[in-house]
Amino acid sequence: MDLSFWILQFLNAMQYSMLLFLLSIGLTVIFGLLHFVNLAHASLYMMGAYIGISVAAMTGSFWAAFFLAPMFVTLIGAVLYFTLIDRMRTAGPMNQVLVTFGLIFVFLDLVRMGWGDIALGLDGPASLSGTTRLLGVDYPAYRLFIIALGLGVMATMWLVLARTQIGAMIRASVENTNMAAALGINVSKLFFLVFCFGCALAGLAGVAAAPILSATTTMGITILIPTLIVVVIGGLGSLEGAIVGSVIIGFMETFGAVMIPSFSAVLTYALLAVVLIWRPQGLIPARG
Amino acid sequence: MKNIATKLVLVTGLCLNLGFTMISTASAETKVGLLLPYTGTYASLGNAITEGFELAIEEAGRTEEFTIVIEDTEMKPPVGLAKARKLVYQDEVDVIAGVVSSGVLGAMRDFIHQSQVPLIVANAGNNLATGENCSPYIVRVSFSNGQINRPMGTWLSENGVKTIYTLAPDYAAGHQMIDAFTEAFTAAGGEVIGSEFTPFGQTKDFGPYLTNAQASGADGIFVFYAGGEAINFVKQYGSFNIKTPLYGSGFLTSPLYVEAEGDAAIGVRASLHYIPTLDTAENKAFIKAFQAKYNTMPSEYAVQGYDAALALMAAVDNGGVDRATLASQLPHVSYVGPRGPLEIDPATNNIVQNIYIYDTVMENGALTQKIIDTVPAVRDDVAGCQM
Amino acid sequence: MFYQTKLRSITLIAALIFLACYASFGSYFAREIVVEIIILAILAISLDLCAGFGGMVSLCHGAMMGVAAYGFAIMSAKLGWPLFPSALIGLFAAVVFSGLVGWVTSRTNGIFFIMATLAFGQMAYTFFFKSRWLGGDDGFGGISRFDLNMIGLETNDSLVFTYIGLVILLLAYGLTAIVMRSGFGRTLSGIHVNEDRMKALGINTAAHRAKAMAFSGFIAGLAGIIAAQHTLYISPELLIWTTSGEALIVVILGGLGTLVGPIIGAILLVLMKHEISNYTDYWHAFIGLVLIFTVLAGGRGVFGQIEYWFNKLTQKHQSTTKPHGDDHA
Repeated sequence: MDLSFWILQFLNAMQYSMLLFLLSIGLTVIFGLLHFVNLAHASLYMMGAYIGISVAAMTGSFWAAFFLAPMFVTLIGAVLYFTLIDRMRTAGPMNQVLVTFGLIFVFLDLVRMGWGDIALGLDGPASLSGTTRLLGVDYPAYRLFIIALGLGVMATMWLVLARTQIGAMIRASVENTNMAAALGINVSKLFFLVFCFGCALAGLAGVAAAPILSATTTMGITILIPTLIVVVIGGLGSLEGAIVGSVIIGFMETFGAVMIPSFSAVLTYALLAVVLIWRPQGLIPARG
Repeated sequence: MKNIATKLVLVTGLCLNLGFTMISTASAETKVGLLLPYTGTYASLGNAITEGFELAIEEAGRTEEFTIVIEDTEMKPPVGLAKARKLVYQDEVDVIAGVVSSGVLGAMRDFIHQSQVPLIVANAGNNLATGENCSPYIVRVSFSNGQINRPMGTWLSENGVKTIYTLAPDYAAGHQMIDAFTEAFTAAGGEVIGSEFTPFGQTKDFGPYLTNAQASGADGIFVFYAGGEAINFVKQYGSFNIKTPLYGSGFLTSPLYVEAEGDAAIGVRASLHYIPTLDTAENKAFIKAFQAKYNTMPSEYAVQGYDAALALMAAVDNGGVDRATLASQLPHVSYVGPRGPLEIDPATNNIVQNIYIYDTVMENGALTQKIIDTVPAVRDDVAGCQM
Repeated sequence: MFYQTKLRSITLIAALIFLACYASFGSYFAREIVVEIIILAILAISLDLCAGFGGMVSLCHGAMMGVAAYGFAIMSAKLGWPLFPSALIGLFAAVVFSGLVGWVTSRTNGIFFIMATLAFGQMAYTFFFKSRWLGGDDGFGGISRFDLNMIGLETNDSLVFTYIGLVILLLAYGLTAIVMRSGFGRTLSGIHVNEDRMKALGINTAAHRAKAMAFSGFIAGLAGIIAAQHTLYISPELLIWTTSGEALIVVILGGLGTLVGPIIGAILLVLMKHEISNYTDYWHAFIGLVLIFTVLAGGRGVFGQIEYWFNKLTQKHQSTTKPHGDDHA
């Protein structure tokens, strides 16, 4: 195995990590701020992919899908928020798990009704088709785009959280909601904004992943477990945790698949079990 | 006196009439149970097989003769078995057709054998069903996992491919497909220099495996993937611009979903038991009828359903009136269908059919299949079947 | 805290009679449905004891059931051991598995506990899925039912098998009820309500929760043995987390912490599923909506709600407060 092989696998791992990051950051921020476990996040990811495919079919443009799908998914998220999520915020983790589990079922059949049972594909943009020469290897340009997208979202979120006022408000509310409200922060508006943003990220992840992973009715359920594992390992509610978690899982699954294929399926679960026993609050928890 | 006599004659005539109608409908009607997945990942296959089956009955004008009872296996062995029991004991069907998943077939096998109800397998490809676990009551009109892949192994070796790297999902069917290919390929002089099995149903990103395969330096990559995994694999193969030629079991570029694979599918060479572009009178007529009724091109799954119905009707015409006679007649069915010449091998009860080597090509802006070669009358070895 | 109230006893007996009649007088398929209900009900009872009384919502109960089923199937069908000892070994395997999981996860709570059990359940699933000698995902057959011919019962007859299943359901319920009534059960409820206080009393709460999981595994194992003998075939799907998810739905739908609720929930879910699938392939959405509605309506579940109303009604006629069943936190 020469250097180019390792570089290729490194890029593969990065790309998978970025995809996991896009999904897990939405989930973890929603939990960190709203204390809400939203399993239906995975369904919103699925909706992003399917809606993206329809938009692309209607407009003939990938970029239209790329920008519009997250918006539609945010709309769906907003509706969910007002009808269900807001009510369930204080209901405890088990009830939240149950309600969002029910939502997963509902979305599953909605997608089947709207788009059928056959897997659907989405073509990436022509500008990103083909391979690019990077670090001495030919790597698909679209996957590099996903890496860039993930890194971009990461940087933006870090900047917003660390350097802007709204970021400060969010951090304050995560650390101590009541105190933040006592200081005059409109916490419920913040919740709604953050929830919508999380949904937008889920939809973005879906439409971004569709050209590589295609859209199937089970895509949400399949990505749900790795996403949850990333969030739990990284630490619920923390941006750094989501980064660290997605990189660890992404690299472990990629290199595990390459080097020890027979065990790779169990690796992730074993790691989850280890973290939960040794450090249940996650590697970089949001609150100290 | 005359009135009563007339009335008596009329009534007797009526009764005899009714009696005859009842007898004729009773003997002419065959009850079929269609046992397929209508929910879950393989729902599209269940629907395709049903479409093919119903088309055949309708085309022959015999919809009055066959009563179809549809049950959903949900692709789960216990559910499939429970529904099979319902079809046999409650609905009292004469014959069951369908079964997509080999897991469901495995769970049902003993029950079918013991209750002596004929089963026409319209998809499940597990080699054991017509091998070690064969039964005089199980007849398969679809394919066996080995049957699709052995010809490809031999053909590739005979056509200049010396080394191969294989990939498949890590489940029973994946292993059977690759084992069959490897056996035939090595027997014909080739060498499989690397082999990997990807986690079944969970692998969405084939990047790492594709990279490995290319790095091995093999003359070709041979894979088995179906459904969503096939779409992902082919697209990703294309996006990585892998130079190594891609070969596969035909499910890789199945007409059912090849469109979703886009340009990446062009040039992929595979083997399958049915290609829509087969240039025979029977196939052309079939495609015309299928498109007229369903507005879409048929896939190999639709043909399997179609042939299941044709086989059933042939068995009925040869004297199959109840479970026992249908079971004895089904293994003797032979005709020329959309796939080409078909017959059942009475030693295994598996279908004997042509396997076509084809390339996926772009024509008139749409993806279609071009047949490169035909391997005629591929027959499975007896492989432990004792009936 | 668990009390065997009159309402619960009546509901339990009514449910069993309903199932027995449905199986006896219904169509052939009715028996298949009743066995499906029995298996799901026993699994849900085992989950209720953990989740309803111990506050430990687990997503690996399907795996516990699967481990017992595989243990039984391997010993009897693969290794040729006699059936009763094989079943005992299967149950023992489930107990060991759940005890281990319980011990390892005993310091986690809430969502973390759910995730941890999910992880272990999936690990067990992967183990069986990848075992080529066990048939992998195709599983294997050749399993036989208990031979009860010496007491005149032909277990291969589906009606007889269904009745035996009902007896085992009653047994599972009874055992769980007795254990929940005992000191062990009360300690478990105590840990759920206030763990620190229990620790202050000197109780090793982690060990206790592990034991509760182990017992839960035993009950779940009973469901597994029935499942294996019903289909006479076994495959890894029993261990997928969605099976555990279905058990959780049943417990919530019926009534958490009531032990009778899971039985009612199983009856409702299975019958609903079969009825709706006669009309449409999209019954998943319907189940999802029912689940959401159940939680939104107070989360007591059907039986839980009935019990709540009943208690409110009877309380009007009493001067002293009687302990009732819905005081779980």
